[in-house]
Amino acid sequence: MNYFSLSKKNGMFVWTLCILAALTVLARPVPALSAENEIVCLQCHANLPEQYSRPVALWRASIHAENGIACNNCHGGDPKDMADAMNPARGFLGVPRQTEIPAFCGRCHVGVLKDYLASAHGRALGKRGPTCVTCHGNHRVVKASLDLINEKSCSSCHSYERAGAIKAAMQATEAMLLATDMRIAAYKQIGADTDRLEKGLFATRNRFHTLFHNVDLTRIKGETAAIRAEIQKIDQALARLDQVGAQRRKAGAAAVGASLLAALLFHLLRKTYR
Amino acid sequence: MEDEARRRFLGVCLGGLGAAAAGGVLWPVYRYLTPRSGDEAGRTFSMAEQDLPEGAVKFFDFAGSAAVLVRKKGGELVALSAVCSHLGCIVQWDKARMSFVCPCHGGQFSTDGVVLAGPPPRALAKLPVSVAKGVITVG
Repeated sequence: MNYFSLSKKNGMFVWTLCILAALTVLARPVPALSAENEIVCLQCHANLPEQYSRPVALWRASIHAENGIACNNCHGGDPKDMADAMNPARGFLGVPRQTEIPAFCGRCHVGVLKDYLASAHGRALGKRGPTCVTCHGNHRVVKASLDLINEKSCSSCHSYERAGAIKAAMQATEAMLLATDMRIAAYKQIGADTDRLEKGLFATRNRFHTLFHNVDLTRIKGETAAIRAEIQKIDQALARLDQVGAQRRKAGAAAVGASLLAALLFHLLRKTYR
Repeated sequence: MEDEARRRFLGVCLGGLGAAAAGGVLWPVYRYLTPRSGDEAGRTFSMAEQDLPEGAVKFFDFAGSAAVLVRKKGGELVALSAVCSHLGCIVQWDKARMSFVCPCHGGQFSTDGVVLAGPPPRALAKLPVSVAKGVITVG
């Protein structure tokens, strides 16, 4: 009887664990491209010879894949129909020519395209000048950072001196952006509502990185102050969160202290009835 | 008699603790329900009506973030948040198309803030706007 009641308890415990485990699995964030298996482009290309499957492998490690931007978002076509996946009538664009690349990427990256076209890089389009993929790569497009400005890449076309000066001018602000990003990520990890701060930082970072495409050192230096002021605004909001956190920790400590004191008082009160 | 006095004292102490605990619970609720003082600064924006002709826009700072006033063709005034609902970039005015475009990922919005194209999940938030004695006031 005793054994039976114990195993019944154990059974309930196991069931509770199973339910909790199932809830944990269900509560996990859905991958950005949950529809990956539905996209015929990936199904087909992943099994083709390397020349055609390599873009899939590269794309999987990209910022586009991380954010759910799939093949059809750039190349067009119908990603749900094998027969029409590459049908121009369904908007399939295929691979752009070298001179078409900026406009191809610029359909989404509107601000960057505008600055690029106004720059020395943009003016050299079609005259052996760089396009988006020269620095950012194609398919394995990674999150933009100052690491993209490096001697190896820049000096393949011109001397690194000017690019190095631009990078140096941007480095301190980039460090501020990264530090703020890490602070926001830490708050996000503990469940704080960081949506507004994240969006603010994204807009500021985007404005800052877009600035580089202009390749104008004077303008970069001029606008850096305004961008730093924006980052400082976000930092101030984070400082307010720090303050609230400190206040909550103090309130928590006071609550624990008060509970212990109440327990002691109840204990003493009980003794008076003995 | 001694126990009686002790009980009274302990009861007062426990009552005080209980009142403090109730206050600790109710204070955040009160703070949440009452508007904070000093938040009104930057929550209104005014400009002369004559400075905003038809087809023109005016970007301004509203409650700590970017906003825009539009005078549509026909004279109707619309005030919108200029923060893109996709990833938070500030939208720009495309005069040729009479629409707003987000420089980050190409989201497009009508003069009413409705999404015309691109990835934004929602329209631009509308802000209250009024006109009195030739002065436009947002907020």
